[in-house]
Amino acid sequence: MFFNLVRRNSKRNRRENGLFFFSLLAAIVAFYIILSLPNQDIMGFLREMESGAVDRLLSLIPAFYAVTLFILFFLIYFASRYQLERRSHELGMYLMMGMRRTKLFTMLLAEDLWSSLVSIVVGIPVAILLSEVISLVTARAVGMGILGHQSAVSLSAIFWTIAGFVLIKLAAFLLLSGKFASKEIGALLSPTPEGAKRQRPAVLYRIALALGVLLLAAAYLLAISGEAWYSLAVMGITLAFGIAGTLLLFYGLRTVLGMLAQRQSGKSGLGVFTFRQLQENVIGQPLSLAVSSLLILAALCCFGYGASMTLYYGSNDTHTLDYTFQNSENPSELPEKLKSAGLEEYFASVFDMRIGQMRSESNDPAEAIHMDEMLELIEQQADSSARSDLLNAYSNIDNPYVISLSGYNQLLAAAGEPPITLNNNQAALYGYDSFTNREKAELINHVLSQEPEIVANGERLQLTGTIQTRNPVTDRAITLYFALIVPDETFDRLAEERYTHYWDATLSPGFVQENGRMQAIQQINHKLDATDIHYESYLQSMGRQLFYQVASSYLTLYLAVIFLIIANTVIGMQFLTQQRKTGRRYRTLVRLGSHYEAICLSANRQIRWFFALPIVVAAVGSVFGVRALFSGFLPPDLAENIHGLYRIAFVILFLLCVVEYGYMLVVTRASSKYILTRMEAGREE
Amino acid sequence: MKQAILEIESLRKYYGRQENQTKALDGISFTVMPGEYLGIMGASGSGKSTLLNCIATVIRPTAGHILMDGVEVSALKGSKLADYRGKEIGYLFQNFELLDNLTGQENILLPLGIHGVTEKEGNKRLRELAEYLEITGVMNKFPSQMSGGQKQRVAAARALILNPQIILADEPTGALDTKNARVLMEKLAGLNRMQQTTILMVTHDSNAASYCSRILFIQDGVIFHELRRKVPNETREQFYERILAVMAQLGGGSANVL
Repeated sequence: MFFNLVRRNSKRNRRENGLFFFSLLAAIVAFYIILSLPNQDIMGFLREMESGAVDRLLSLIPAFYAVTLFILFFLIYFASRYQLERRSHELGMYLMMGMRRTKLFTMLLAEDLWSSLVSIVVGIPVAILLSEVISLVTARAVGMGILGHQSAVSLSAIFWTIAGFVLIKLAAFLLLSGKFASKEIGALLSPTPEGAKRQRPAVLYRIALALGVLLLAAAYLLAISGEAWYSLAVMGITLAFGIAGTLLLFYGLRTVLGMLAQRQSGKSGLGVFTFRQLQENVIGQPLSLAVSSLLILAALCCFGYGASMTLYYGSNDTHTLDYTFQNSENPSELPEKLKSAGLEEYFASVFDMRIGQMRSESNDPAEAIHMDEMLELIEQQADSSARSDLLNAYSNIDNPYVISLSGYNQLLAAAGEPPITLNNNQAALYGYDSFTNREKAELINHVLSQEPEIVANGERLQLTGTIQTRNPVTDRAITLYFALIVPDETFDRLAEERYTHYWDATLSPGFVQENGRMQAIQQINHKLDATDIHYESYLQSMGRQLFYQVASSYLTLYLAVIFLIIANTVIGMQFLTQQRKTGRRYRTLVRLGSHYEAICLSANRQIRWFFALPIVVAAVGSVFGVRALFSGFLPPDLAENIHGLYRIAFVILFLLCVVEYGYMLVVTRASSKYILTRMEAGREE
Repeated sequence: MKQAILEIESLRKYYGRQENQTKALDGISFTVMPGEYLGIMGASGSGKSTLLNCIATVIRPTAGHILMDGVEVSALKGSKLADYRGKEIGYLFQNFELLDNLTGQENILLPLGIHGVTEKEGNKRLRELAEYLEITGVMNKFPSQMSGGQKQRVAAARALILNPQIILADEPTGALDTKNARVLMEKLAGLNRMQQTTILMVTHDSNAASYCSRILFIQDGVIFHELRRKVPNETREQFYERILAVMAQLGGGSANVL
């Protein structure tokens, strides 16, 4: 009998409060997905090449798990509170009928456990399925292929998911039941609407509103000026301003809504009622609204940052070479070695890239190059961060390199670009592409157009053409932020015997097309491992990019989704709870002759406003927040790609609209359904 | 002869089926003339609230007719029904039913918004009503800042703002103290006298009923007795005495005392 009651109550809770049930499922899925991250195909793959970084990332998982646990605790706490408040009358009745408080407590606990069990039974399979899908999709998306797919089901992840979920549910339950147990039966039987709460003088709210706006403006200013990143203290102040500003804003918002309500007076329809309801809602829960707004802001920032970083690492692909071989003992024999290993047919081109070091006559590399004319020309340019970076870098070249023109032209040919032509006293400038961003490149090219002369090891060379940024090796066999590309004869003079053969190779297009680049390289790597050839493949570079892409997108998107779910659930449930608490008013409206459509219209308007308030505040904040994140974290290249960023912003905005529309739809439906029950205006004794 | 505002014909409302059937109203007929102040009295469970709820279209009668200005009320549907609730009748609730997050003025003007009446027309009436009902001081206050009497007078102003054909009052003094109850009754009686407002009031407070011009006594779902105040000779006190005498007879009088 008791168990039947528990099961029925729990079922009713789920039906009446689908939004909360959905959030519980989302919590379970979130736990599992973060915990099963190490089992994802892509992580297994990345671990092979970037094991250090991957291990560092995976070691962050417990921290993410704890953060998720903490945040979801609030969701469950709020949601359970609404649920209990909704049932307040019913619980009061149980007590009136003589149920002992311990029995009531046991019943609620049992209901809670039962609903947890249902959530787990439904949620875990969904989570496993979703995690498998993510694993397959990412593997496919990066070209790993799905043949090597390993099932991502992780028993430990399931265990910790259940443990964490039950833990926060129990904690929320204990806190809440303590609060409800101390209430008098009378208070349970007739809960007072929030409107009856004590009001302070109106001027106080106006001050709060003004102060909130000022603090937010200050926080925005600190954030976009980049000052927030100067020190931890300034960052702390920025965040404190932002949070305090949001809280004060929502605390003072009631004055604005009151004014809006007054303006509606005398107009047709339920305008006054709409805004008074809204005002009461905001008065009742300024804290949870402010927190929701901050969560949405955090979600938007995560989305914006994550998506931009993904795009950046995705677009940063300057792939030309598949392999760079180094054979220190007998460099010229490498093509022979490949042939004898039976690998020749897989390559489209294999060519020798000679890179050497310059030394002065006193054998000091720092003295080998003088470029006063060049520095002077740079100095004449307008002041900018690129100019100071370049001056700084070029006045302290302590390890100048030279690259042979023949090798470099073959690289350009492989990339489908025209070769460089130089005469014997000319040189081209090379700079590593991450160092030479667009701003610097423009500046240098402007200087190069004046063909300045430099002195390399006593030899005068004229710099010409534009700066070259194509990496002469496939990955990181050597990284040069400054080198001269010179004709082979000049090369022999400047580098003497201090040079290395880097044999660059590209795979044959047919082979790549057949297998996909990633698998093609993996296959060749296996074959090369059987020989004594030292190699570097594009896979490392690919893996590194992938890692950053996966790490930044996965974690930021994960957090963003969680934040968004929590914020929306809290907003939606807060609205529905208030609607129920003030259900009598809807009934009064019916008895005063209001149509069902008119009441629904008012309720839907309330819903739109209620969602819009925190979202708009968050959206405004996110404009500054994302920019602040960029000025703090972003690689300089991306900062220039403003069109790309706008595109991302629009996509995010669109996604947000879709998500919010979905939530509003759910809440609107629940609200209309509830109003329908109010339409049968039965007499309340 | 004047046309009746409200005609009730053989109204029946049964609850339950066959052997468990309760006859809340068992064939009641009466008419309400314009400008009349009709009281309906009866013990708890006599069917008086069922009667009022039928007229207010809160519940549907089992049989019989309710004609408001000659129109069958039970046939109304959708927007016509909503208009009937808001414009034809004004309802005064025992527990006021003010929206506690709206100010006094906003509460009173609420029906205007609901029925799409512009503020201009309403404002004049609002001022008159507020002055007459002595609630001008609470126009910008919320219900939680008003006394019970003020709340009920604000509710009365809301019921009257659209100039309905008839005011249906359901135990309007039920939640008020004696003093406030008297003030409310005097105001309602004044409205009835001066503006010919038709009022149909359900009450079991004999004192409140003594303000009426006619009283129907209901018992077990049928009209058991009718009293008319003899104007202009009979004082309210004398009428009150007569009401008490009938009330003593209700439920069978001393014959039912074992």
